[in-house]
Amino acid sequence: MGETRVLTSEKQPEVGAALEKALGMTAADVVFEVRESGMKGRGGAGFPVGIKWNLAGAASGADKMVICNADEGEPGTFKDRLLLEKYPHRILEGMAIAGYAIGSARGIIYLRAEYRYLVPSIMKAREELLEKKLLGRSILGGGFDFDIEMRFGAGAYVCGEETSLIESLEGKRGEPRNKPPFPVNSGYLGRPTIVNNVETFVNVPLIILNGSRWYRELGVGDDAGTKLFSVSGDVKHPGVYELPMGSTIGELLEIAGAEDVQGVQVGGASGTTITPDELDRRLSFGDLPPGGSVIVFDSSRDMMAVLNNFMEFFVHESCGQCTPCREGNLRLLDATRSVRSGEITGMEELKEFFVLADIMKIGSKCGLGQTSPNCFVDIMTKFARLSGGKGGI
Amino acid sequence: MSRRPVEIVASAVEEYGSGREAVLQILTRVNGELGYIPEEAMKAVAAAVGVSDAEVYGVVSFYSFLSVKPRGRNIIRICDTVTCGMKGFKDVVAAIEEELGVGVGETTPDGRVSLETTSCLGLCDQAPAMLVNDTPYIRLTPEEARRIVAGLE
Ligand SMILES: Cc1cc2nc3c(=O)[nH]c(=O)nc-3n(C[C@H](O)[C@H](O)[C@H](O)COP(=O)(O)O)c2cc1C
Ligand code: SF4
Ligand code: FES
Repeated sequence: MGETRVLTSEKQPEVGAALEKALGMTAADVVFEVRESGMKGRGGAGFPVGIKWNLAGAASGADKMVICNADEGEPGTFKDRLLLEKYPHRILEGMAIAGYAIGSARGIIYLRAEYRYLVPSIMKAREELLEKKLLGRSILGGGFDFDIEMRFGAGAYVCGEETSLIESLEGKRGEPRNKPPFPVNSGYLGRPTIVNNVETFVNVPLIILNGSRWYRELGVGDDAGTKLFSVSGDVKHPGVYELPMGSTIGELLEIAGAEDVQGVQVGGASGTTITPDELDRRLSFGDLPPGGSVIVFDSSRDMMAVLNNFMEFFVHESCGQCTPCREGNLRLLDATRSVRSGEITGMEELKEFFVLADIMKIGSKCGLGQTSPNCFVDIMTKFARLSGGKGGI
Repeated sequence: MSRRPVEIVASAVEEYGSGREAVLQILTRVNGELGYIPEEAMKAVAAAVGVSDAEVYGVVSFYSFLSVKPRGRNIIRICDTVTCGMKGFKDVVAAIEEELGVGVGETTPDGRVSLETTSCLGLCDQAPAMLVNDTPYIRLTPEEARRIVAGLE
């Protein structure tokens, strides 16, 4: 395996080179290049970036918006923090290229309130780009205007969901909207809007500079590009790692120094819990959706306590708008507590909760309620050591 | 002397405008300056923007960083999510509680510090972690946490 770090490489392309190249292309060609690259959104859901941009570019409506989702709140995720700290210029440049591609003059970075200490480095980068005429009016002397402002969350995980984020930007409670309409048609203040993750924007200048084919080939098999992974928990070297998309979880854990593995949470609390038998699974949208968070639990950990912590998180963070999520998470937390206290002793008694989990997945309005039961089902079926009943390990 | 709530609202309206989308920004400003959002301020925001008091209250109650109760001059937000839980959250929070003489969700009687727990701070590689106001503190030990807390003015 050669050098796979491109986002976090020591050698960074000159700031502005990609934007300059993009401005020499037609907007449609920029969108085409991003689409051909096969990049899928890095915020978790994995929607193809070029398709989103194409829809927003084609949408009718004035004052189109480019929004950078810097609400990073999925437990165990901190890769966007690293990017905001170390590569703010590339984020802003990626947003400007997106603005040119969809015909927008205005970008917003929605930063979680917990990351306010990162504001100075981001604002400094903005100032530098303004000075170099890479932002602001008449960028590089041409006819394209684009500027970026910063706005803040106020401590709500659900505001990372893109329609909730838009509600929050509009000054309201961050309650997810019904879709359709999709933000690409009617987003912030009813304007056509793209919302993309921090890491997504960081990839854009590299795709423009090096081409879609280069980007596709960075990944393993059908997967395109590289991916940042935040690794924490019981590993020797917690931190952010960049690997080809489609690498196995085992490869990542070896680099991070995981020696004793009882379980791994991939994709944050809303992701998948795997056992050591599954370490050859791929970090890929086709297998283990790689939100970016990888938490390792060694054999000393009580997986029921882990589950308890996740369920408390979801109970706390559910916006309460829809019943399956609001009530469902409470009941799954109760069931977890009952297993821990010995009130529930067999798989039979958990059956009704697995049915509830299915209802939540289908009946919840947004991704929070649709994915929060995953850890319950995974941990109960793969790790529960129930004293009674036939089920469990 | 801190400014009166209505003065803060008025100057925030000047900066952010009186559109519906300015509500959260105005409230965040008040909350930042006073540590909480008094009823007076909520009413002033509602009047300036032209929405009901209830709607403004609804926004305040939604966000965990916004408070309707007075809080201390310093706010500690310690992460209670999984990785910090594995790396010693319990001992650290116990040390802080002992040092302050108050529990989670409470404010010291002298108004110096409020202690809160919060969800993942995105510092899990350096767990356990907390924010004091906007500043992150990482790889906390009970001793280190005591020292930081004791030094708050
Ligand atoms: C509960 C919830 C929280 C989310 N949090 C984030 C987040 O913090 N950052 C992010 O980029 N996407 C988050 N997402 C995904 C966004 O809704 C959206 O898919 C993403 O910002 C689109 O950008 P991308 O296509 O570049 O990934 C979240 C989704 C849900 C359901
Ligand atoms: S699924 Fe949960 S977080 Fe999402 S809208 Fe429903 S109650 Fe709110
Ligand atoms: S779990 Fe505490 S900072 Fe992420």
